[in-house]
Amino acid sequence: MPLHDVGYRAWNSRRCGPSATVWVIALTGIRLAWESRWLRRLVFFAWSPALIFAASFFAFEQAVDEGRLTALGEGAQVGRNLDGVGMLGTVLADALGGNPNEVDIESTRRLVWTRLLLAFMRSPQAILLAAVVGLVAPTLISRDLRAKAWLVYFTRPVGRTEYVLGKSVILLLLVLVITMLPAVALWLMGVLVSPSISVAFETWDLPVRVVIASLVLAVPTVLLALAYSSLTAESRIASFAWFATWVACWIAHGALTTADFVVSMREQQAAEMENAERPLPAYRRATEPPTPFRGQFRWLARAAGIDARLDRWAWISPYHALGAVQAAIFGIDRRPAAWMPATATLLVMTFGSLLILAWRVTAPAKA
Amino acid sequence: MTAPADPIPVRLTDVVKRYGRRTVLDGVSLEVAPGITGLVGPNGAGKSTLVRAILGLVRLAGGEARVFGHDPYRHPRRVREAVGVVPEDECSVPGLSGVEMVRYAARLSGLPATEALRRAHEVLDWCDAGQERYRPVETLSVGTRQKISFAAAIVHDPAMIILDEPTNGLDPIERRAMLGRLTTLARNHGKTIFVSTHVLPDVQAICDRVIVLARGRVQLAGSIADLTRPARPEHHLTGSGPLDQLAAALTADGLPASVTVSETGPLIELASPRPDQLGAIWSAARRAGVAIRSLAPASRPLEEVFVETLRRADQPADGMAGSVSLAPFGGID
Repeated sequence: MPLHDVGYRAWNSRRCGPSATVWVIALTGIRLAWESRWLRRLVFFAWSPALIFAASFFAFEQAVDEGRLTALGEGAQVGRNLDGVGMLGTVLADALGGNPNEVDIESTRRLVWTRLLLAFMRSPQAILLAAVVGLVAPTLISRDLRAKAWLVYFTRPVGRTEYVLGKSVILLLLVLVITMLPAVALWLMGVLVSPSISVAFETWDLPVRVVIASLVLAVPTVLLALAYSSLTAESRIASFAWFATWVACWIAHGALTTADFVVSMREQQAAEMENAERPLPAYRRATEPPTPFRGQFRWLARAAGIDARLDRWAWISPYHALGAVQAAIFGIDRRPAAWMPATATLLVMTFGSLLILAWRVTAPAKA
Repeated sequence: MTAPADPIPVRLTDVVKRYGRRTVLDGVSLEVAPGITGLVGPNGAGKSTLVRAILGLVRLAGGEARVFGHDPYRHPRRVREAVGVVPEDECSVPGLSGVEMVRYAARLSGLPATEALRRAHEVLDWCDAGQERYRPVETLSVGTRQKISFAAAIVHDPAMIILDEPTNGLDPIERRAMLGRLTTLARNHGKTIFVSTHVLPDVQAICDRVIVLARGRVQLAGSIADLTRPARPEHHLTGSGPLDQLAAALTADGLPASVTVSETGPLIELASPRPDQLGAIWSAARRAGVAIRSLAPASRPLEEVFVETLRRADQPADGMAGSVSLAPFGGID
């Protein structure tokens, strides 16, 4: 018998509780997922949009510091690229409206920062989230089903709740690392490059909104991805279902909004031809004609939540539904018609996924 | 280890489990007492479902299950803290090494991180896992994976260990070592071992009691010693030399004996001798020129008992199928 072999010993110490089990599952899952080179690359890449947005923050605060905000606003109105990437010009033009001469710095800063953060969380991060979740989530439960690893969990003091929570935390942490952390870092950087530290107190609510918006982004998507993973032992199928949901819903949303736009344009043309002042329904009424610059970046403005026209089909696509709810959280668009259908979609996604998970997770044990 | 609330680890009373219209467990009543208990039965007898019922993984259609006094379906956490399971199916978390797998199992069972790692190495040493513990589980041989699975089942020091086909895929040496570990856990550490297997010699070698399950019912239950005892008391004598002459001499001395051939070679079957007759046996052997190798009470192979029990269970005519009446557990030995 080797010296280190102490035989079989009894163990009578105090056991850890269910919350420790959740963390054990989560941390082990993250460690295993992190072994994927593609995930590491994707997470590092996911921080790169933050650098671009940081340039916008810097350009804005530099203009404030040098007293050039009015000039910046005028530049934005004529469509000048202010930060090298075009984002600040779009945001600033939208924030200042048509009057760059009477600029209140504090309110403008709040509006610009809010719009930049919303744009950051909507366009690059929500898309990267789909990629990161699509890379990790499909294997999380389906692999356990295929390798019969569910026996490892459910023959031990691990309940369905701890199992699902543990798997969710794996994805939640990854999602928050690519959405919440860079967004909070952007706010912090904005404070650091601003002329006064008092800006932190003036905009204290923005990081809170970032956290809430990140959770709204993360929870339904994570649960949906896990639900797909629990439905099959083949992770490829779960992966396909995940990406197909995003792409198909996006296409459906695009088709419906385009159809609306075409109908609206025809009706406008018909109205102009008849020279009649027949009012159009609210959802078909454009708020204002786009400026040349905003027209050029229309797709970006729409994806980033800067285009404030009512998106009545947002509820049909998870991406657009998330954007509508996040816009409400950031206070950009609080019209109930904008966020309520989208919220309903996210709730259906969340509770539907929970039901599927509750049904599927312990199904092999009961078969 | 959780302090058991009931000295009898498992009590099942009239347990019924159905999958759709199919009744898998049909009024099963049994007790698993401390020691080593074997669960045998043909394929589809309901053994795996019985194990799942004990773990609270399935909801029962009727009857009552108690594991250490707890209802396993209502309080699965309490039950699973006190139970370690070696499933028949190979199950592992892909990507983890052997020691990480055992450590993970310990952590899931509630052990703190440091203690989990220490105990993982301890039980792997005890299971002779060697340096293979550092390789990913999916790359290990079947035998080593079985060791890892066993180590993961005992790492949290459970009061009861349930094993489904524990010697599957093991070579004869490893099989013997595995049975030795089970015996050690039961005899030296007071564990209750519940082994579900098809390998009847394994059951006969290590188990104190056996339960035969067929058609979803307990067909036979009792101690191995009682169940394998022949109808009339007999001893078997093995040795080298002219056994037929010795048999004739013993018969002449009033101890009826006959030579028979078993799987291990020729032997003499003789009526169980009284203590005062032992000297006469040795004298007769010396006279016949036989060197006695062993003289031991005879026992029937468990396989014979098993087959006979299944045959009785399959007799449908008298309506007695599946209702072989036996003394309740604990009352035999």
